[in-house]
Amino acid sequence: MADDSHSGEESAWSNDEIEKIVVDVLDSLLKNKEYQEEMVPYWIDEICETTTERLNELKKSFKYIVSCVLMQRNGAGLHTVTSCFWDTVNDGVFTYVWPKEKSKDQVKKSLYCILTVFGVEY
Amino acid sequence: MERKKVENTYITHPSYKDKFRPQPVKEILREVLTAKLDQAQYHADQTPVLTKAVADEVKDRLKELHLPRYKLIVQVVIGEQRGQGVRVGSRCFWDGDTDTCVSEVYRNETLFCVATAYGIYVY
Repeated sequence: MADDSHSGEESAWSNDEIEKIVVDVLDSLLKNKEYQEEMVPYWIDEICETTTERLNELKKSFKYIVSCVLMQRNGAGLHTVTSCFWDTVNDGVFTYVWPKEKSKDQVKKSLYCILTVFGVEY
Repeated sequence: MERKKVENTYITHPSYKDKFRPQPVKEILREVLTAKLDQAQYHADQTPVLTKAVADEVKDRLKELHLPRYKLIVQVVIGEQRGQGVRVGSRCFWDGDTDTCVSEVYRNETLFCVATAYGIYVY
């Protein structure tokens, strides 16, 4: 059975690699930060740009869209939905909510970050 | 399974009339958001369904524009209005000539909505 996908292995959408990058970027940029109205635009810029740079270092033939929502944590609800018209085999999306609830993490976080990465193959 | 690829046309740029132009898309976003969210209130159970409906409707309306060789991505964020601060941003690595993004914000008393549509050209 000829498996043709191996020739496109470098171009395959890999959720694991993206997750590693995203978690790394968010942990390093948002660790111990409290929600501050003035600083949030800069944080979003930094997060999105760092993530895009790291994604490009993967050297895959993808166009990337990185979308980040930073919200102050005060009990309000938030819903994100993406609807895409694309090639379901080659293109992918990855969403990550930060911080992951960890019981050992005693510091009460004051903000939520939802990072979405879209990859469209060209 | 063989990966299907779209046939090569060796065209790297859409013609002017086939380009993803921001203005019509912005109007579509505004219409859909106003139509679907004007009477809506935030409910923890119903809002996910509403968000999905908005995203699908926007995508379907954009498909009706029949932009050839364009892939469409629509992202809709709906949140409860409770006086919290929120910021939505995005960065893209794409071809600036052919690809665009458009976004629109809608607010009412109990909720806010940010809808973003991206158009990516396939060479």
